[in-house]
Amino acid sequence: MPFLIVSPYLIHLCLFVLFPVVFSIFLVFHKWNIISPMEYVGLDNFGRLFADRLFWKSLWNTFIFILVHIPLQIILSLMLAYFINSKIKFKSFFRSAFFLPVVISGVVITILWQQLYGLESGVINQGLMAIGLGRIEWLTNPKIAMVSIAIMATWKNMGLYVILFLVGLQTVPQSYYEAAEVEGANDWQKFRFITLPAINPTIFMVVILSTIGGFSLFIEPYIMTDGGPLNTTLSAMLYIYKQAFGYYHMGYSTTLSLFFALIIMSVVVIQKAFVESKEY
Amino acid sequence: MNLGPKKFLLYAILIIASLTFLYPFYWMILASVTPEENIGKLVFSPQGLTLSHYKDMIVKIPIWSALFNSVLVASLSTFGVLVFGSMTGYALAKMRFKGRNLLFFAIIFTMTLPFQITLIPNYILMVNFKWVDTLTALIVPALNSAFAILLFRQAFMTIPDDLIHAAKVDGCGELRIIFQVLWPNIIPSIITVAILTFMTSWNDVLWPLIVIREEGLMTMPQLVTLFAVGGRAEAQLGVKLASAVLLALPIIIAFIFLQKYFIQSMASSGIKT
Amino acid sequence: MSIRNTYFFVFLLLIGCIRDEKRNSAELLYWSSNNGGEIEFSKWVVQKWNAKANTKIRYQPIPEGQTSEEILLAAVVAGTTPDIYSNIWQGAVEFYRVSDVLVALDTLEGFKQFIESRCDSATISEITASDGHIYQFPWKINPIMTIFNKGIFQELDLKIPPITYSKYIEAAARFKKDTDNDGYVDQWFGNTSVKLAWHQRLFNFYPLYLASSGGMPLIKDGKANFNNEHGIGAFRFLQTMYKENYFSRQNSAAGQDLFVGQKYATKFTGPWEIQYLERFKQEGFTYDFYQIPVPDDHVGPAYTYCDPKNIVIFATCKNPQKAFDFIKTMVDEEADLQFLKFTNQLPRRKNMEDNAGFVEFFDLNPKMKAFLEQAKYVRGVSNCEVMTEVLDIISQEYEACVLYQLKTPEQAISDAEKAVNVILRVDS
Repeated sequence: MPFLIVSPYLIHLCLFVLFPVVFSIFLVFHKWNIISPMEYVGLDNFGRLFADRLFWKSLWNTFIFILVHIPLQIILSLMLAYFINSKIKFKSFFRSAFFLPVVISGVVITILWQQLYGLESGVINQGLMAIGLGRIEWLTNPKIAMVSIAIMATWKNMGLYVILFLVGLQTVPQSYYEAAEVEGANDWQKFRFITLPAINPTIFMVVILSTIGGFSLFIEPYIMTDGGPLNTTLSAMLYIYKQAFGYYHMGYSTTLSLFFALIIMSVVVIQKAFVESKEY
Repeated sequence: MNLGPKKFLLYAILIIASLTFLYPFYWMILASVTPEENIGKLVFSPQGLTLSHYKDMIVKIPIWSALFNSVLVASLSTFGVLVFGSMTGYALAKMRFKGRNLLFFAIIFTMTLPFQITLIPNYILMVNFKWVDTLTALIVPALNSAFAILLFRQAFMTIPDDLIHAAKVDGCGELRIIFQVLWPNIIPSIITVAILTFMTSWNDVLWPLIVIREEGLMTMPQLVTLFAVGGRAEAQLGVKLASAVLLALPIIIAFIFLQKYFIQSMASSGIKT
Repeated sequence: MSIRNTYFFVFLLLIGCIRDEKRNSAELLYWSSNNGGEIEFSKWVVQKWNAKANTKIRYQPIPEGQTSEEILLAAVVAGTTPDIYSNIWQGAVEFYRVSDVLVALDTLEGFKQFIESRCDSATISEITASDGHIYQFPWKINPIMTIFNKGIFQELDLKIPPITYSKYIEAAARFKKDTDNDGYVDQWFGNTSVKLAWHQRLFNFYPLYLASSGGMPLIKDGKANFNNEHGIGAFRFLQTMYKENYFSRQNSAAGQDLFVGQKYATKFTGPWEIQYLERFKQEGFTYDFYQIPVPDDHVGPAYTYCDPKNIVIFATCKNPQKAFDFIKTMVDEEADLQFLKFTNQLPRRKNMEDNAGFVEFFDLNPKMKAFLEQAKYVRGVSNCEVMTEVLDIISQEYEACVLYQLKTPEQAISDAEKAVNVILRVDS
């Protein structure tokens, strides 16, 4: 009976998780476009990977995205959470307002921000011009484009992290603050010495979550920039997608995926190990 | 109540922040009913009113069938995840069998496995099953979720064994125990799993882009994406925005009524990972 | 919920998953391109056919995607190809031929006579594959030309359109302006796609290259053939346009159409633009077409790219002879004329000038005459299995050199040549 009950999951597991992993390892040594017969190529795919400058660039771009996205995300969402957590009215309104972009499809967000980022008619540049600042080439300047995408992603996910920080903040006993006030601590000192240590675990959680999310960056550059300008927004996932479903280089794109997945797993494992070492 | 300068600043910041999050949606909805040549001028005040973008968009792309497909795929996946997830979660929490720990380990392994590894082989699988261009390709691989299993396992573990024994004495089978006796006790977990699964499925666009190429079978986010990057919108902005609004609307409405559940579910998904 | 209910649920699932339309094997499935005019034409011709033939045609526009080539390739891989597809890009056919998924049309009865009655020998030799068979039926062309805003040209006092590079650049310098004094240029002399997708180079770099070189191919004898004054000259010309901000670097898909908005004076485009402009133009907007600009010392006619799209039958088709009969109906005189009327695209048939029906159309649509004239000097693309990858490489260099001026034209073209020769060697 137990096996009958878990069998739907077991079958599913074998079919869509275990078999693909094994098949990946097999594909890595082959050249195949599905239409023509498969061809054994030994380690050629790896040689090609290490020489593929565009792939390394796409990895680099993905890291840039994560490096811009995470600090921005943590500072802003912690700030907002901290403010909401003080004694104010309309808490739930603010929370819901921040949360709205979280539930809406990234497709909608991207189509919308592509317009907001417009060079001339975009609302953001119109605003900048109105207050006397110069306009910014959000999506056409190779130095800025990835940052623009990171800002958008931060905006989209902020609400979730505000909530996570709120949960963290509520675990700090009110009595600590009261005691600090008696000691004459100012707001900054209270934040620095009481709040921050208490929400450290939440910060690490946010780092890990947004790292994993950042590695799967795909639909935003797919819709907005198609990887341009000068391949600066070509994320690793977008490049793998193009290799796999633009050219049907199945063996090569699987090699890229496997390699990329190993990088993701090592980064996450390192982060988690770091968190655990801090906890004790 | 008298507002001190500090409180005033606090409110000012929070209000500006909320506007930053709400204004883009205001702009998008307004732009979708603004005549094409005025969209560039639109900032705050309406610049004319027209429904032609919606009319054109409905003619250009099969948005209603995409809506139907999305609802069908998301509902069936959610149903599957709830049923199979609670079955597996129950077995892990309350049954003893050989290989239970191995299974548990496999689930943890699945959760840490980046989806990038399985994406391409799964596509090849779909090709071989002849599931490309069928809704099967969207539903069947989504019928189980490691996260849901772990959540159900936790929920079931909090339920006392006595309840199960009593039900067994009454002659209930395991499935009846799960769905009739235990389910009413874990409603919050069910809601969490349902909301998360439904939203994941509703918002997923990478997998549909890969396995569905026939327009009548596309899901809504996929169709809207392709409409945005493809040629059929004929470089007209209004129709693209109209399709984006239609894609966002169901979730916005659901969110307005179920805010509490949405926020709780997503927060718990973050905390559990 | 009992076990029985669970099975019932699984059963329901399976029902829900079964393809909603089972393909009737006696039918033939036909895909057309998915633009408005062609959809109308296809509906018309399918209705005409189905009214009398007993093998019915089921018709559907190709699903939406970034490019139709991408969709078609996906269909081939997944084995979901139609029987007939009417919008295949000539440059993609070689790849499918090598992959063995197309029917050799010349093995069908009556093909030879039919194609010889419709097309001249140059066209026939252009579409003949390297194995001597013919896998595509030449259908239509869209020569790329320069469209211009007549009002703007009048203001600039341009009585003859600027045909040479230096005249074009000079006119562009006069037109570039910051009309609202906000410190940014807001009207540009021209525009062409800044997207990186390979096919975009077919509408800017490639026509300029053909015009300059008198129609030389990009690939010749299995090697890159564009590292010459024509390739470099075209890159330099375009680079100047972007460097001096005569062309806008804005992505046209991101905003509104600025040619319609009268912010661009010219752009490179095909006859499809006419129908589009007639629908979206403002009151008082007038326009016309002229050839693609050429170097100052150019002699002879200006060739251009004609974006040939052809009809193929996939090997999965059970009844290729019937499919060919349908193709014949699609391209008979009446259908070609209807096609011209519906889409403003030129059928690839000879002697249109001598046919009363066509003459009448061109008299009623004088703007189309420019394209008819231009059609004498057009080229498709080389028969090359990796044409899209070649154009991808050119695109990469195009972006670095033309759009961002990080490389000299000489450097960019030579880098592209090297990279192209590498993949050509790999694949041969």
